[in-house]
Amino acid sequence: MILFDFGYERAATAEEAVARLARLGDDARLLAGGTDLLPNMRAELAMPATLVSLEGIACEPPRALADGSIRIDALTRLADLERAPLIAERLPMLAAAARAVGSHQIREMGTIGGNLCQETRCLYLNQRHDYQFAPPCFKRGGECCYPFPRNKSDVCWSVHMSDVAPALIALDASLEILGAGGTRRAGIEDLFSGSGLRPLTLGPAELLRSVTVAPRPARWGWGFHKSTVRGGLEYGMSVCAVALRLEPDGRTCAEARIALGAVRERPLRSPKAESLLAGSVLDPARLTQAATAGAAEANPLPHHGFTKRHLSDNLKIYLRRTLEQALSRAREEEGAC
Amino acid sequence: MLRSDPQARAALKAPAQVVSLRVNGEWREIAVKPRVTLVEAIRDLVGLTGTKASCESGTCGACTVLLDGRPVVSCLTLAVACDGMEVRTVEGLTDGEKLSALQEAFLEYGAVQCGFCTPGMLMSATALLERDPKPDRETINKALEGNLCRCTGYNGIVDAVLAASGQTRPRKE
Repeated sequence: MILFDFGYERAATAEEAVARLARLGDDARLLAGGTDLLPNMRAELAMPATLVSLEGIACEPPRALADGSIRIDALTRLADLERAPLIAERLPMLAAAARAVGSHQIREMGTIGGNLCQETRCLYLNQRHDYQFAPPCFKRGGECCYPFPRNKSDVCWSVHMSDVAPALIALDASLEILGAGGTRRAGIEDLFSGSGLRPLTLGPAELLRSVTVAPRPARWGWGFHKSTVRGGLEYGMSVCAVALRLEPDGRTCAEARIALGAVRERPLRSPKAESLLAGSVLDPARLTQAATAGAAEANPLPHHGFTKRHLSDNLKIYLRRTLEQALSRAREEEGAC
Repeated sequence: MLRSDPQARAALKAPAQVVSLRVNGEWREIAVKPRVTLVEAIRDLVGLTGTKASCESGTCGACTVLLDGRPVVSCLTLAVACDGMEVRTVEGLTDGEKLSALQEAFLEYGAVQCGFCTPGMLMSATALLERDPKPDRETINKALEGNLCRCTGYNGIVDAVLAASGQTRPRKE
C-alpha cells in the first residue's frame, strides 16, 4: 500500500517520455517494471509527485544489427531476455545473468533498463520507516551514515545490487541514452557514478533506450556466478562476470574483462586482476593470483548482514571459479572451431 | 529522489482514473487513484479476495496473478497501468464448482496447509504449465522460487505440479 498520492501519466513514445520528464522536473520518475521503484515508494524512500509510465512504448525484441552486434531494447523484460533464442545462442552470459535476477515474477515484470538503473541498497536505508522510528540517514536527508557512523557524513555507502550490469560490463556493452537534446551513446561503465547518493550519471530528463553488445571475437569464453544463500529470490552476496579471449595457442590470455557486482556503490572492473591475466599463460596458479588480486582491489562494502571478511573470501573463491569456467568455455570453443 | 515537500504534496490531488480490466473473462470498470495497486483493486474494488496481500513488496508471491498471461506480483503493479489488460486470479481456475487438475493435485498431494500461499502458488504453477506442459523438478523449483511457503516444505507442492502435468510419482502411503 502506497500511502501518498502521486500523478500518473502515460507516454506513447520514448521522446514523449523525455519531454514529459523535462516539463515535470525533478519530482517526476520513469516507471517501467516498477519492481525497484514501487517498493522504494512504499517505504517512502522515493516520493515522486508524478510517475511517467513507459508501458505504452513499443518494445522491439532483441535483434542482430548489420555489423553483427546485438541491440536490446531497454524495455525488454528480463524473462523475455532469458527466453530469447538470439540471446541464448549469441550471448548466453546475458541470459544467465537475467535468469539470476529476483524471482520468476520479478523477471516477468522487470526490464533490463530498470535493472541497470536501480537504486543502491543498504540494510539501514531499506528498513521500514513508516511504523518505527529510525533516525534518517544521510541518504534520507539526515546528518550521518548510521551503518558507518565513523565515516564522513557526505558519503553514502550503499551497494548497487544489479546482476545484469556486471555481465554487460564484461561484454563491454554500449548504451543509447535519449535526452531532450537528442540521442547520445555511452559505454556502460559511464552509466554509474560511484556515489551511493546518486548512483547514476543520467541527467534529470534522460532515458536509457537500448543496450548494444558488439559481436564476440573468436576464442572467447564467459563465466558468470551470483553467490546467494538460498539460490533464488534474493540480492546477490557477490556477482562475478568474466569474459576471456585466448591467443591462437589456446593457453595464453589475450584479453580479460572482469566485472564484480554487489560489492560497492557501483559495479566494478578489476584492472589489476585483468592485467595479471592479459598476456600470461593461464595456469591454475595464475587464476588464483588474479582472483586474490581482484578480491583485494574490490574492497567490498559489508551489506545485507555479510561482513567484509566474508565477502572478500567469497570473491576470492568465486572469482577463481568463474575464471576457470570462462577458460574452459574459451578452450571448448576453440576445439569447436 | 529523497526530498519531499509536504505542502506541495498536500496540494497534489491525484484524480482517480477509470480502468477497464478483464478479470477472469469478465470486463470490469473501476475508478482508481494512481497509488492503488492491482492487488488492492482486485480485493477491495472487484471483490475477489482469493488473491492474498502479504509482504506487499514483491518478496512472498502470495499476490501472484496472471496479467496478460504473465505471472506478476500484483502488489507491485499499479492498477492504472493495467487498463485494457486481462487479469486471471485463482477464482478463474475453477470451472463453476469443479476444481482444475492442478487444484485437485494440490489437494491430493497435501500441498496446502495453512493455505495462504496457495493462490499465488497455483497462479505461478498455472503460468509454468501453460508455457511448459512437462516441466522437470528443477524447472518447477525455478518457476516457484518467488512464492514463499512457510508450512509445507515445498515437496508436496512440487509433487502436485508434477502430478498435474501428468508425470505422476507413486504416492507414499
